[in-house]
Amino acid sequence: MELSPFEADNSVSCRLASQVPDVCRTEDCCLGVDEAGRGPVLGPMVYGICFCPVSKKEELKDLKVADSKTLTEAERENLFQKLDEAKSFVGWALNILSPNVISTSMLQRTKYNLNALSHDTAIGLIQFALDSGVQLKEVYVDTVGPAEKYEEKLSHLFPGIEVTVRPKADSLFPVVSAASICAKVARDRVVENWKFTEDLGEVDTDYGSGYPNDPKTKAWLLKYLDPVFGYPQFVRFSWSTAQTLMDSKAVAVCWDDDEEDGERAAKRQNNRSMLSFFSAPAGGDKSHQTHHFFTERRLRSLNSL
Amino acid sequence: MSCNTSVTHLDVSSRGRVEQAPVHLMPCEIEYSGAAQVSQYFTATTKDRKQEKTVSFRGRGLKGQEISCPQGYTGLVLKEVNKPGSDQEDRTVRISSMFNKLTYWNLETPPTSDDTVVMAMDWPEVAEAIHGPIED
Repeated sequence: MELSPFEADNSVSCRLASQVPDVCRTEDCCLGVDEAGRGPVLGPMVYGICFCPVSKKEELKDLKVADSKTLTEAERENLFQKLDEAKSFVGWALNILSPNVISTSMLQRTKYNLNALSHDTAIGLIQFALDSGVQLKEVYVDTVGPAEKYEEKLSHLFPGIEVTVRPKADSLFPVVSAASICAKVARDRVVENWKFTEDLGEVDTDYGSGYPNDPKTKAWLLKYLDPVFGYPQFVRFSWSTAQTLMDSKAVAVCWDDDEEDGERAAKRQNNRSMLSFFSAPAGGDKSHQTHHFFTERRLRSLNSL
Repeated sequence: MSCNTSVTHLDVSSRGRVEQAPVHLMPCEIEYSGAAQVSQYFTATTKDRKQEKTVSFRGRGLKGQEISCPQGYTGLVLKEVNKPGSDQEDRTVRISSMFNKLTYWNLETPPTSDDTVVMAMDWPEVAEAIHGPIED
């Protein structure tokens, strides 16, 4: 698995893929979709697909791929090795969603939530397999959100393909387990070798699992909090863990599309104090209106600092 | 707003000594005034493409571009020497750095010539046309 295309610019997402086995272009194939790193506040989320001819399902099962979460890192690496050795009939592809993309998508003006991002990424990978000539007949997906609705959406998008969406699909279908192993191996390697674009010198890489409840992750988030910038791009700013820490330990930053609570909004909208209605009007001549030439350029004449 | 009779003095004596500083106009209000690790966090992650620069700040995507100060103008970053105790006292500010260009950032939208700060730079030319001496 060559991760250098992602590592060359880890602020954007990246697709990586194995060679498509010839047999997958001629025989009916099944394909599994799964993801790794959905929950962590650190690092990318990786989407993976794995595919093989329907006739080779048993051979895939014999590789003893299992749900990646029940395996140790070493076991996963070992299984990925086996998948790689089976490249005459097994292919895979990954989409590494950069934490910077996750942050900026989820915090976009028009919010792009994680479920929508996940669905679109999975759809993109299935389409990629089709575009690469894989003869897809069956697709198995670990669900994100309600399984039935997701299954309906995918069936509609990919007519002629039998789509099965299930919770815990990674423990039910070997081809989904295989996808989950590919995704998890990539996620682990990326997190372990994260190259900080920020100029932070030697960064302590003891960040634990990246899950918000991991004490090591928490300690790391406290240590690497910058009062102005918050965090390096390795951190998902859209996670409440990161937001909460910034709210309490970093300086406040206000955006024009912030949903503000009452008190703060009132203050920022310059609500006038009751007393101001009883004093002489400030600024003298009220009939003087600034021309829109100046207001649309936000130009004001300045008479004090 | 009280009737303010105090005068603000601009001490320009340091102008030959101060450095040109990179200036960023941000599309948000940062409730802080002071030193920040701009080059480590911001400049290091800024990407310079043909049409625009991109970066993210606090997890939000920014797009921006560099603009120059209008011809004949210089940007000054001012610092107050001593904060006065009352608004009746005169104030003195000095130049802490100077700039001839700045980078402004929009939240998510690509920079265009309709952006407020780009249009604001029209003013010196308009002002000259309105208030300048009339030549025959």
